[in-house]
Amino acid sequence: MRQWAAVPERLYRLPTLFPEAAQPIEAVVARYQRVAPAVTRFARTLSGNDHLTVLLGSVAAASEDEVVVDPRLFQAAAVRGAPVTPDEMAIASALHEVLHLVSTDLDQELIDQLEKAGPVATTLFFALEDGRQETQALRRYQGARSVLGDLYRAALGAAIGVSGALSQFVIGCFLGAARHLDMSFIESRADPQVTLVLRESLPLLDRAAAAPNATELLPIALELMESARRHGLIAERGRDAPAASLASERREANEATEDLDRVRLISPIVHDLEGYETTKRVPMAATADSERKGPAELANDASTDQLLRVSQAPVVYLPTGMGGKLVLEQVPSAFARFSAEGRQSMAAAARRWGLAQRQVASELFPLFAANQRRGLRSGYDQGDVSPHAALFIGAGLYQRMYERRAAATRRSYAVSLLVDASASMLQPRGDGAGRSPWGLAAAVLGAITLARLCDDLTVDFEVALFNRGFAARETDTEWSFTRNLSQATAGLRRTQGGAAARLTSTVNHYLVKGFGRRWREAEDLLAGLFYAAAEPTAASTAVRRDPRTAPPLSMFERAANVDEFNLIHAAERMAKLGAQVRVMVVLADGMTRGSVEALESAVRAIERSGTIVLGIGIGDDTVAGTYQRFEVVTRPEELTRAMIDGTRGALRRGLALWGLDTWWQRPVRSMKEAVNA
Amino acid sequence: MPEGVVFEDPTGAGAPVTLERFAVPKGLQDGQQRNGKVPEPDPHYVDLGMLYRFARVEHVRRSAPEGFVPLHLAVRGHMGTGKDHDIEQFAARLGLPYYRIPLTGEVRDVTLIGSTRLHGDGKGGTESRWEDGDITRALRGPALLNLSELNAAGAETLFALHGLLDRYGALDLPNGETVRLRPDVRIFGTMNPTDLRDYAGTQTLNKAFADRWVIWEKDFPDADQIEAMLERRYPSLNAPYVEAIGRLAVEVNASFVVPDAATRVETPLSLRSVLDRLPTGLRIHAADPDPLRRAWEEFVLPHVDAFDRDHYETVWNAVVRKGPATPPFGKT
Repeated sequence: MRQWAAVPERLYRLPTLFPEAAQPIEAVVARYQRVAPAVTRFARTLSGNDHLTVLLGSVAAASEDEVVVDPRLFQAAAVRGAPVTPDEMAIASALHEVLHLVSTDLDQELIDQLEKAGPVATTLFFALEDGRQETQALRRYQGARSVLGDLYRAALGAAIGVSGALSQFVIGCFLGAARHLDMSFIESRADPQVTLVLRESLPLLDRAAAAPNATELLPIALELMESARRHGLIAERGRDAPAASLASERREANEATEDLDRVRLISPIVHDLEGYETTKRVPMAATADSERKGPAELANDASTDQLLRVSQAPVVYLPTGMGGKLVLEQVPSAFARFSAEGRQSMAAAARRWGLAQRQVASELFPLFAANQRRGLRSGYDQGDVSPHAALFIGAGLYQRMYERRAAATRRSYAVSLLVDASASMLQPRGDGAGRSPWGLAAAVLGAITLARLCDDLTVDFEVALFNRGFAARETDTEWSFTRNLSQATAGLRRTQGGAAARLTSTVNHYLVKGFGRRWREAEDLLAGLFYAAAEPTAASTAVRRDPRTAPPLSMFERAANVDEFNLIHAAERMAKLGAQVRVMVVLADGMTRGSVEALESAVRAIERSGTIVLGIGIGDDTVAGTYQRFEVVTRPEELTRAMIDGTRGALRRGLALWGLDTWWQRPVRSMKEAVNA
Repeated sequence: MPEGVVFEDPTGAGAPVTLERFAVPKGLQDGQQRNGKVPEPDPHYVDLGMLYRFARVEHVRRSAPEGFVPLHLAVRGHMGTGKDHDIEQFAARLGLPYYRIPLTGEVRDVTLIGSTRLHGDGKGGTESRWEDGDITRALRGPALLNLSELNAAGAETLFALHGLLDRYGALDLPNGETVRLRPDVRIFGTMNPTDLRDYAGTQTLNKAFADRWVIWEKDFPDADQIEAMLERRYPSLNAPYVEAIGRLAVEVNASFVVPDAATRVETPLSLRSVLDRLPTGLRIHAADPDPLRRAWEEFVLPHVDAFDRDHYETVWNAVVRKGPATPPFGKT
């Protein structure tokens, strides 16, 4: 496991330097992702290393073939009130960090000399080196350079206003080496003595900007320091004891560095000696820990991985205009490990709750088999010839004999089942004969029943779970899930503070069986989910026994859902399918964490788009106020029946819209009759 | 006395090469047509070194040293690097009729070599007559043949040319005639690199066929070269625009040539975009607050694949961000 070396906290005191982030970190990272390929290419050109990898990580680091950039640095840049667009900011801040990481390489002799030269000279040296690298590396990237110039100018006035004379001088030296120094601005704001010294120092700053390497900067820094001392910008310490004098100089240097940070973009590697050594040391620590490199874009670090995941999650917009991120995942495949136990448990539950799935299917089959759309459009001279073409032409349904395929699906009907998968669905509740955890179990059994029904009727069908919490991955086991959760939470707390909770507790949408997947492929998964839901105690015991292979039961967190995002996302997915009759069944056992109004408007919008939405409340009547078609159930058998009856009714309504059930007059037995029979 | 043409090394390192121009012999049956096919020298053309290299090979050929056999030159490079333009301008300088014969997957040997065809004899019957194909026709007089897109043609089509390109130096026609390579015929070729890029129909060149060519690579021009081309062609284009276009082209094309699919673009900024489209856009939008940006949006971005847009725009922001504030044309 990769362990990052500790980084001095003062390198990351961004929140104290900058106001609370105007843009969430995930938005900044998402913007970075768009520029990342070009930034990597630029970094390779700058370093002359075609194999250089640019990674995102929670700690900046640089080695020969790998640089790790910390997205918080981009966020810090993004909050400056400079006249630059977010895209310009993304490329400039990323390129800025990358150029310093690939360009900074100080030899040990120089480091020793810096330590001897003292804190003020070192501060001046790093200010010059920061500016020199920008001048030289950004020569071919004048656009990014101009963005940095705007950022510096935007911060300069305020920084000069609060800085002492030495700080103002250091800021001027940095801007001079970076070739962003506007002397008229400095003259109007800075201490007159500082202006004087800076004017005298201009030739030195020109030399610094053109210096071929960092080694040549130290004599320049020493000259600048002497000049500053001569003009009284550095306090005299003639009578102080050596230790006190050094401490006082260090304070002065630290203050100057902090004030310079108000202007420049912070890059730890050229911040100061400590930052340089830490940044260079991190990859060595990482290499020692693990030979294996992390994923291409991540520094093998759970917190950055989570950050990237959230930033890449699509934003779902509600009819109310609100929007939010929805993390999309496949349900962990490890649930299939419980399939054998799940099948036994399901058979018992089906008997207990009185489900007769085949009856339902056989009753509806003739109607649906006769009305499946062939997914073809007439009017083309090439393509399939329908065996019934003559009949359809005679009936006036087709104009031409030849047809071409026109829709993504051949099926006219699609059913989407969305199941609330919060931990409350696993809690015991009254089932008529006592209390048992039947909420999710009955929902999964209903899903399986519906899936079989739809499979028999050749109706497109999908099942998705939704919850809020730390999102599990398809490959997760209990062990990997809990490990990722704890690492990501700890890492994000350290790097993102108050935003960590938002970044780890996301709105999640897990696809169990998609429209394009065969039902048989998902059967084991659903059986395993049923077992986890129906027998939570036994499942937990099995998970504790072997967490490295067991499914991540911990993913079912007790956190209120945001139902409306999931509904809108599923509705969009179903609309893309091209089915004419679309039915969405939503099972939930409580309030949405969003707003009832937003959920209601989402349901109304989906209904307006032609999708029938059925809300089934499990022991909770929130559905009554939000869904136009709803049912509240309090017992497991009611739930599965409500699902089947509701879907069947909706499908029949779809047929009626076409005027087709007028010739299908055979009475349908009620669900109860079917079960009794 | 025939006119001499001087080819200079743009790097200044090599000695100039002087070559006499060819002349289409009088009395040639298609002499007038051949004279009409001698290209006009492009006054805006900037030799980046390719013409000089051609001239050095030509110089050796004309001196006919012992053991020499004619070499045929092929230029390989990505789209928009100016390969065909180089060859055309070589023909123009040497006064050779220029035959550009595009090879595609659809071209067959009969199209290139010729075939026997039936013609009405005017008496109600038919007679068969040999009809030259594109290459044979060109070979019957002074000519510079440019077989463009060499690696797009099928190998079986190119086999027909093997005899012409090797020491045998002749084309045996199916009608029994042998068409020899004249001393005033030069054969050139161009091709795109064969990789995963979207050069529809290209394939790896057959080894035996490739061995009959000298293949030279042509890279995208660097910033100085692009600036020289722009300055030659648009003397009134202001320097900040010239520099900005040069930098954009270099950076986009650097992203195009990287081998890593994750960090590259699939569409280069071709010389057609740099020398034709962008300057036209600058004239159209000369009065706009940012003419270069408008020209970029209207004349470059529409050529870019959707998935490359972010990369192109990132290059724009990194390299230019805001176009020059001065008008594009007319020295300021």
